[in-house]
Amino acid sequence: MRGMFKLALGAAAFVAAAIGALILWPIGNENRPITLAGDATRGAYLARAGGCIACHTDFAAGGAPLAGGVKLATPFGTLYSPNLTTDPEHGIGSWTVDQFARAVRQGISPEGAPYYPAFTYPFYANFSDQDIADLWAAFQTVPAVAEPSTPHKMLFPFNQRWGLKLWRAAFLEKPQSEPVPGNDAEWNRGRQIVGGAAHCAACHTGRNILGARKSDTQHFKGSTSLPGGGKAPAIDFETLQKRGWTVENLAFALKTGIRPDGDAFGGAMGEVVLYGTRFLTAEDRRAMAVYLMDDHSGG
Amino acid sequence: MKTTFLISALIAGSTAVAALAHGGATGIVKNRMDAMSNMGKVIKAVSPMMQGTAAYNADSVKRAAAFFAQHSGEAMTRMFPEGSGGKPSEARETIWSDWETFAGLAAQLGVAAQGLAVAADNGLMGDAAGTMSSDSMMGGGSTMMGSGSGMMGGGMMGGRMTVEQIGAMPADGAFAMVTQTCSACHTKFRLESK
Ligand code: HEC
Ligand code: HEC
Ligand code: HEC
Repeated sequence: MRGMFKLALGAAAFVAAAIGALILWPIGNENRPITLAGDATRGAYLARAGGCIACHTDFAAGGAPLAGGVKLATPFGTLYSPNLTTDPEHGIGSWTVDQFARAVRQGISPEGAPYYPAFTYPFYANFSDQDIADLWAAFQTVPAVAEPSTPHKMLFPFNQRWGLKLWRAAFLEKPQSEPVPGNDAEWNRGRQIVGGAAHCAACHTGRNILGARKSDTQHFKGSTSLPGGGKAPAIDFETLQKRGWTVENLAFALKTGIRPDGDAFGGAMGEVVLYGTRFLTAEDRRAMAVYLMDDHSGG
Repeated sequence: MKTTFLISALIAGSTAVAALAHGGATGIVKNRMDAMSNMGKVIKAVSPMMQGTAAYNADSVKRAAAFFAQHSGEAMTRMFPEGSGGKPSEARETIWSDWETFAGLAAQLGVAAQGLAVAADNGLMGDAAGTMSSDSMMGGGSTMMGSGSGMMGGGMMGGRMTVEQIGAMPADGAFAMVTQTCSACHTKFRLESK
């Protein structure tokens, strides 16, 4: 059974015999250098859609934009989103666009270390070179904040990053955001945002005990293990239909935060709308709703 | 018109429609749940207009706006006396430790509602040009991450916009300012139930 195999393999990550070999095991793949000129406005849009701003800005404590410090409680310890400002020492001011590309699309640091998947990089793998160039241009406009990132507080052995290499081997999957032939441009645009940048499945798909999404069996069936212990309801098309959602009121909800019964979203979903989808264009919100309300299980 | 009737009935104070459930709450907790539910009903009643799936009626929108204004600010906060949290209430304890922010959002609801009353006559912008919100975020490129911290900072949803600014928006934009205030407060101060 593939699932069992994955679990066993994942568990082995933390038992670990051949640690030495693991530490040296190269991950990721080299990309051609990015030489495209970026458009900061487009990049800012993508940063909204992708939740970069929401997750790397400590709004609750009145933190500076993208200076990090947002606490993400996981069953394995606590992570803090790092400083992404242009500060050369504490932020990413001394990075190159190619290092940035590798971090965002592949989840690998400039030193070659794997990132924790609480950073939603698995959803960004299909970002084009132009997307990356645009994001990079937008990040260049962020004022430097000379504050160190808060160190993570992960429990042993999860604080050993080499373990994440096994996690990647077992669980890292392609985002469901590439176009599916036979569907129109609006549907495919919806899929691109929902399955990619907006990472809806990060909260709406259940996870196994090692924090990997159960995409094959539980896609959009809801989750009871959000960071911090929250839960998110199912948003597969059948459940949405049953609960009174339509293309119109779903697109509307992504702008207004209002559910079909007139109540307003709270919790994590309130933030998704407040810091993310309300800034998107009406066309993009509609495309997301069209895709979500359609039977997209085949793709 | 049905919508107008519902809103009028609610404004007239016949809150019987909302008498059910609320997990057996009584007293002030029940009163505020009723008030919130009634706002939800009014939101629900005008939403189809704002989505363009029902004919637009400026008078209904003005009545709805008046209803939200009436329930905002102090009218709302005085229904949250200290110590009134805990089951069956969904109010978070942080309401009382961060009262200033809570009261600020309740007041912001009033500002947005008054803005909506003015904006009602502007009609809908509709989908075609529905990129208002993204314009306002990207105006000038740097706003989103740079100096635009006024927009991204503590004030959450365009927190510091005035009645005039909101009143100048298309009605659906102003309506979203109201609902985003509902959602901002729930995100911060209401426990997740479902
Ligand atoms: C759900 C929260 C979340 C979202 C959304 C998110 N990040 Fe992050 N990000 C993190 C966390 C947590 C880390 C630290 C990971 C680690 O240390 O292994 C991180 C790390 C990073 C790093 C590496 C920083 C360093 O100092 O090594 C970059 C670059 C980055 N994120 C960019 C982005 C971009 C670009 C986006 C949007 C497209 C984004 N992030 C969205 C949580 C998030
Ligand atoms: C950070 C976690 C998180 C992310 C990311 C997220 N959601 Fe949610 N979502 C939630 C939570 C929590 C709720 C329950 C909110 C409530 O009850 O007020 C929810 C509720 C919903 C609902 C209401 C379902 C119902 O019938 O009650 C819809 C629809 C929805 N989300 C769609 C989306 C879409 C589309 C995306 C991607 C753009 C998304 N969500 C991304 C956490 C998340
Ligand atoms: C300043 C904060 C705040 C604002 C603004 C606000 N709410 Fe609430 N709302 C709450 C809190 C707190 C609760 C939980 C109350 C309780 O259970 O004691 C709640 C509960 C609710 C409920 C559930 C009531 C029930 O039956 O239990 C609905 C529906 C609701 N709000 C709708 C709205 C709508 C619609 C708006 C905007 C027009 C809005 N709220 C604005 C704080 C707010």
